[in-house]
Amino acid sequence: MHRKAFLAGAFALLAAGPAIAQAIPATVDQPVTITFYNYNLASAGIGAEATKKLVAEFMAANPNITVEGVPYSSADASRIQADLAAGLPVDLVQTVFSDLDFAVENFGAKALEDLVPADELAAHFEGMSPNGLKLGVLNGKTYGLAYTFSTPVLFYNADLFRAAGLDPDQPPKTWDAVKTAALSIKEKTGAMGFTGGIIGPGAADWLFQGVVRSNNGEVISRDRKTLKFAEPEAVEAVQMLRDLADAGAYENMDFNGALENMAAGKLAMYLQTSALQAGLVAGAKDKYELRASTMPSFGDKPTRPNNSGSALTIHTADPIKQRAAWELMKFLTSKHGYTVITSEIGYLPLRTDIVTDPQYLAGWVAEHPLVQPNLEQLSRLEPWDPMPGPNYRQIVKTMMDAVEMAVFGGADVQPTLADAAANAQALMP
Amino acid sequence: MTTEVIEAARPAVRRLRRKAGEGIGLNSAAGHLVMVLLSLFCLFPVYWMVVTSLRPANAIFETSLWPTALSLDNYAYALNAIPIVRMLLNTLVISVVVTVIQLMTGLLAAYAFARWRFPFDKLIYAGVALTWLVPFQVVMIPNYLLVAQLGLLDSLTALILPHFASALAILLLAQSMRSFPREVIEAARMDGARSWRILWEVMTPNLRGTIASLAILIFISTWNEYFWPLLLSRTAENSVVQIGIQMFMTSEGNAWGPLMAASTMASLPILVVYIVLQRQVVQSFMKSGIR
Amino acid sequence: MAELSMSRREASTLRLRRAGNWRVSPWLYLAPAILTLVVWIYWPLLDAVRLSFFQWNMLPTSPQKFVGWENYARILALPKFWQALRNTGLYVLGLLPLAVLVPLALAIYTHDLPARSRNIYRAIIFVPMIIAPVVAAAVWRWLLDPGYGMVNTGITWLGFDPVKFLTDPKVAIWTVIVITGWKLIGFSTLILSAANANINPSLVEAARMDGASKWEIIRDVRLPLLSSSILFLVMMTILLGAQWSFTYINVLTGGGPLGATTNIYYLLWDFGFSSMSVGWSSASAVILFLGFGAIAFFLFKLIDRYSFHDN
Repeated sequence: MHRKAFLAGAFALLAAGPAIAQAIPATVDQPVTITFYNYNLASAGIGAEATKKLVAEFMAANPNITVEGVPYSSADASRIQADLAAGLPVDLVQTVFSDLDFAVENFGAKALEDLVPADELAAHFEGMSPNGLKLGVLNGKTYGLAYTFSTPVLFYNADLFRAAGLDPDQPPKTWDAVKTAALSIKEKTGAMGFTGGIIGPGAADWLFQGVVRSNNGEVISRDRKTLKFAEPEAVEAVQMLRDLADAGAYENMDFNGALENMAAGKLAMYLQTSALQAGLVAGAKDKYELRASTMPSFGDKPTRPNNSGSALTIHTADPIKQRAAWELMKFLTSKHGYTVITSEIGYLPLRTDIVTDPQYLAGWVAEHPLVQPNLEQLSRLEPWDPMPGPNYRQIVKTMMDAVEMAVFGGADVQPTLADAAANAQALMP
Repeated sequence: MTTEVIEAARPAVRRLRRKAGEGIGLNSAAGHLVMVLLSLFCLFPVYWMVVTSLRPANAIFETSLWPTALSLDNYAYALNAIPIVRMLLNTLVISVVVTVIQLMTGLLAAYAFARWRFPFDKLIYAGVALTWLVPFQVVMIPNYLLVAQLGLLDSLTALILPHFASALAILLLAQSMRSFPREVIEAARMDGARSWRILWEVMTPNLRGTIASLAILIFISTWNEYFWPLLLSRTAENSVVQIGIQMFMTSEGNAWGPLMAASTMASLPILVVYIVLQRQVVQSFMKSGIR
Repeated sequence: MAELSMSRREASTLRLRRAGNWRVSPWLYLAPAILTLVVWIYWPLLDAVRLSFFQWNMLPTSPQKFVGWENYARILALPKFWQALRNTGLYVLGLLPLAVLVPLALAIYTHDLPARSRNIYRAIIFVPMIIAPVVAAAVWRWLLDPGYGMVNTGITWLGFDPVKFLTDPKVAIWTVIVITGWKLIGFSTLILSAANANINPSLVEAARMDGASKWEIIRDVRLPLLSSSILFLVMMTILLGAQWSFTYINVLTGGGPLGATTNIYYLLWDFGFSSMSVGWSSASAVILFLGFGAIAFFLFKLIDRYSFHDN
């Protein structure tokens, strides 16, 4: 695989010819148009509004650069595939982290170290969370900068906690505590106890990766060659979820069902991406008190949350466009950029220093205590590993199907996972 | 069998039908009860959509049958967030054009199947039907590349082109043409009519009922089409209303109020088309002399 | 020309109007339709057959790697494949009453109603058709939710436990079938009503003059004349049932819980059509095309026999 990747890379170098040989120009001194493939633009609402606002500000500040926003659906990247096949320019992309490997191997995402002079890169990385920077690193190079990303947060309904005689100031910190609280809320209030976007329809594998890691396991080895979700630590983590489900503490719900039951006040605890915060806050308004806590842990093992969301990746081979795309990337990942992304969409700032800076996020953070657990987890953040090779989507599906069977389907945990791991391993490059 | 015979028989038929209606009087209460229950089943979700579109944002999850407070905010928001009027117009243009063209190509092809036996006719007929079984996602990207080569990306033309013919139209029309009495065609032929005139002057007028139903079905399926426009449209102004509706279903959950408002707005034009064309169906039945 | 065709008509029976004789006319009539279908469907499909033996990401810059039958082997080895196949049968069985029987009863029943109530009922039955599928699915999921859904509010009010319509593996598939059927009743009723209206009133009247009862008229006059439309709908349901339910599976259950609502089309979509690897997607398409094509072939034979009978 490595040799193949190397050859493919070498081929790209040859194909690009002199374009790569010369470094990207220091400035954009002639009018240039770049495309920005963005999935927030595919929906109406805060995500699209904030994106359009940032792009407009960027174009006003850089009169030579025109940015053409192209919406695409994050569920399938067929628009990007089709446009690349049709020879249309795909310059800057908001890439979901799980697609990062495919974006690099197949969609020609460029490593920033290969494009940008080292000192300029270092200057821009100044002040960024080191853990956050690691999220977009693959095979030792930075292919993407975390753009709209978040961590798993345990949202809970403080009113239901009180009604069950629990202290909402002491939210459950461990999975055992989640189980106890869920059962007691279920018994005393009739509401549903707990659910999470870990498995089931509409769940990606990011949250599952975080749960397994928090039990010191991992779904894929560090060299990204071996699937490890059937190893003892992972099996133990899945067994824990299974026990939660068997006890009736963990409700089997799909994404929208869970989200709406939480918003309607019928569900006590919901482990999901912090990106849902704005919607949940709106649903809870004047109805119940919504609070948030960090991801639950396995006993006293520290949690190892990982991120969801997207990175920005540069795909163009044209030096001028690369410079233009890099300028836009710098703007979107600047202090100002993250201020807008955090306060208007509900993601996380990659630059931790702006959180306490009154010029940027300090005021907003003070008004929005819900973001605290999210910020707290930033210091322990680990990457959402993308599965490698052309069959990466099938690998994720095989794994997630098996986990669902093991948790809710009554199948024996260890053999189910081992079987799936063997099947999925055959799909690895 | 001629027109006069049936015209003469018509009053008698009407009389009989009225009598038949009285004859099943006992059953009719039960029949209506079943129909009312079925109607409730059909209507309630649609009613729910409309009612939800009228609820204010913080009352979206209420379960009262009638909204406690009426609000048009969702409509205002939907109209503001996406160019929905433009999208509705685009969709209307596409749907009308596709409906007309598909009916044309469908009538022509169906006529060929119904009128003649020719080499490989069954094979071709099967070939048409089998296009149903080709998943759109598989031909989608090759089609996209073709459209790109034609320089038609992000245009309404590209949304129409692949729909110049459909299996549903061809098969449904061929099927009703086959049950068209041969005697009538032969009579027209003896009068010296050529096949072209037989199709448009004899066949088509007598298939009005089927054509109108088919027009409704084609219109709706074009109106509700999603995957092809999703791949093709790059700007909201060149997009269709289904894409607009989906813009309120996000990975951060659905914006229920605006979603319901947008879908209510998107559904109304189809209802109008149905009512207009349905009247056509009924009238063609009343008037048509020859089956 | 007229004389010529007249003499030929006398020389042969009507039904066997000339095979084996190359004419230009039918091809001219067929040309626009065939051209469209070949350019937009069959040409890419042919290419898909070839690509199903390759591993490729569809980008002109990357190589196509020949992998033989590997893509097919992987799809046929999917753990859910047989479950999906069985579910596909259930979908067809469940949809047939909703897509054919109920609409047939409706078309015949409403036909004899006074014009006004007939039109009102038919319009109401048609209403589900006008709602966009994704929205219909979303509204249904809402109504059926165990926590805040109207239907379960009603069920608990009657003193029963709430039903997990979409998360109970035993119930979910029937929920999806009923919702798919809900969208389809209007479609089938429309087709059957049109066919029913096409029936020559004098035939019905003739039967009545012979003293046939209402039920006998339906059985001996209407049903035989409707048989080709009925068969047409049966064929559509068998061939397309799995596709029709796609949107509802996708929005409502994602094939779950535990694969209980996955049918063959959804499974192939999930692992094939929606993936970026052209090989998987093409092999899935070929499997679907050949599998259902074989069923279609059988159905065509069946329909052929019936239409001969009709003539």
